[in-house]
Amino acid sequence: MIDVLFSAFLLSVVLLGIHSYYGLHIIERGIIFTDLGIGQMAAFGAAVAILVFDGKYMYPVSLAFSLGGAFLIALSTKRTRNHEAFIGLLYAFGMSAAVIALSRAPRGAEEMQHLVAADILFVPMHAVFKTAILYAAIGTVLWLTLKRLRGTWRELLFFGTFSLTVTSSVNLAGVLVVFSILVAPAFIVSGIKRSFRTKLLLAWALGTVLNLIAIVASYFLDLPTGYTVVALYALSGIVFSLVRGL
Amino acid sequence: MKVTIINLLIAAALGAALAPPAQAKTKVVVTYPYIASLVGEIAKDQAEVSTLAKGDEDPHFVVPRPSFIGKLRQADLLIINGASLEIGFVPPLIRQANNPKIAPGAEGFVDLSQAVDLIEKPDSVSRSEGDIHPEGNPHFILDWHNLPAVARAIADAFARIDRAGAGTYRKNLDALLARWKVKSAEWDKRSASLHGKSIIQYHRLFDYFALRTGMKIVGELEPKPGIPPTSRHIEDLIQANAPGSLYLVVTDPYHERKSAEGLAQKMSIPWAVLPQDVAAVPAAKDLVSLFDTMLASVLR
Repeated sequence: MIDVLFSAFLLSVVLLGIHSYYGLHIIERGIIFTDLGIGQMAAFGAAVAILVFDGKYMYPVSLAFSLGGAFLIALSTKRTRNHEAFIGLLYAFGMSAAVIALSRAPRGAEEMQHLVAADILFVPMHAVFKTAILYAAIGTVLWLTLKRLRGTWRELLFFGTFSLTVTSSVNLAGVLVVFSILVAPAFIVSGIKRSFRTKLLLAWALGTVLNLIAIVASYFLDLPTGYTVVALYALSGIVFSLVRGL
Repeated sequence: MKVTIINLLIAAALGAALAPPAQAKTKVVVTYPYIASLVGEIAKDQAEVSTLAKGDEDPHFVVPRPSFIGKLRQADLLIINGASLEIGFVPPLIRQANNPKIAPGAEGFVDLSQAVDLIEKPDSVSRSEGDIHPEGNPHFILDWHNLPAVARAIADAFARIDRAGAGTYRKNLDALLARWKVKSAEWDKRSASLHGKSIIQYHRLFDYFALRTGMKIVGELEPKPGIPPTSRHIEDLIQANAPGSLYLVVTDPYHERKSAEGLAQKMSIPWAVLPQDVAAVPAAKDLVSLFDTMLASVLR
């Protein structure tokens, strides 16, 4: 049993590694729902692939939709003042459009649930390794080049790699799982006045503990793993901010 | 005092170690309650059965939980309905369980759909046609005359896994088949009055049952298998069927009831919820009461 739990745990750590990096950036920029917006557009793309192509070309269609979403968000942060409202609307559109698309596809409701929070216990080890290699490459490129770039190129690199990452993660783990892993640890450590590097390490440490608790709890209490991860991350963020507020 | 307790513990441990080992039971995982009922009849207390789906759950989509993997890891035997009914949840479970004893093709893997003739084999399979099973309609168990072949397949599997018990399984199977023959004749007689009656069903779930009872299925509430009813499709159903030509609208316990009830009201005919498995409704406690309940719900 350990090996199945271990591959789920490894996947959650791989997701945590890259997404808490993006999370810290996104909280700094004040566009927290960007991930939900882009993730939901990726899910809409997956729904379109299911409906139109019989479930084939899921990844490229999904990626095209999330890149489109990212482009619109990047545009809105330049042009509109209330870009959170814009991102919220994009999320609502992606969500409703995916539901509409899947209402025409057999077993649409179940596919939808899968896109929201998939069962990470069923992700095979080779998919975990493939994702780990992809994210390590993306992470290295970002770490080396992002601080040297300015203006449009910087935005292009940031949102481009972000869409690529979110699309892969949503296909493996679902929109909500990705969102909670991205936001909760970054949110909790964002108040600390330390360097970016320290905050990232803290977010990793915190997320690893949360992953371990969530996966072990889901196994022993026999709960759906994806939703357990989401609930625990979200709850930790909420409890933390309440405690800090008091 | 302490010493006495320790002595007692040691004595107990020794006793447990020296006692003759209980005969190892065959660990069986089945997907649906009706299979568990059959295993219970054939293997009695020689098997330890775990059932993945609940009776009132949609058999096409069972929410997988972590414990399913653990159960499959330890299983000696996995018995599934087959014909793609479990396509959404069993393949990833088998892959993650990584248990060679129950891998497809192994001795401990049983696909019951192989034992019966399936109806409604599609010429082509495309998702645009809805949720179609390429092997044919997988709900074969709802014809009571299919049950003996299925029971035989299960008895054969047990005899393969546990050769020493083969005689017992054979005896239990024969007892079940003898009882089943009597009940089947009774059901055949009871359903004679249903012959030629037209019904509408929610999903293509009761086709084998209709075929056996002689009822004619004239449509489904779902426009295509797996796609929820739309108001236009319901309107089409009403237009296509003359008032008074329909006998009944039937649905299952796991879909919403409003569409079936709404259509029945508009056409001024009765509607009924039929169990599709053991434990799908409280009255369907076992295999016999499953068919008793089904017939009681459609006879009026």
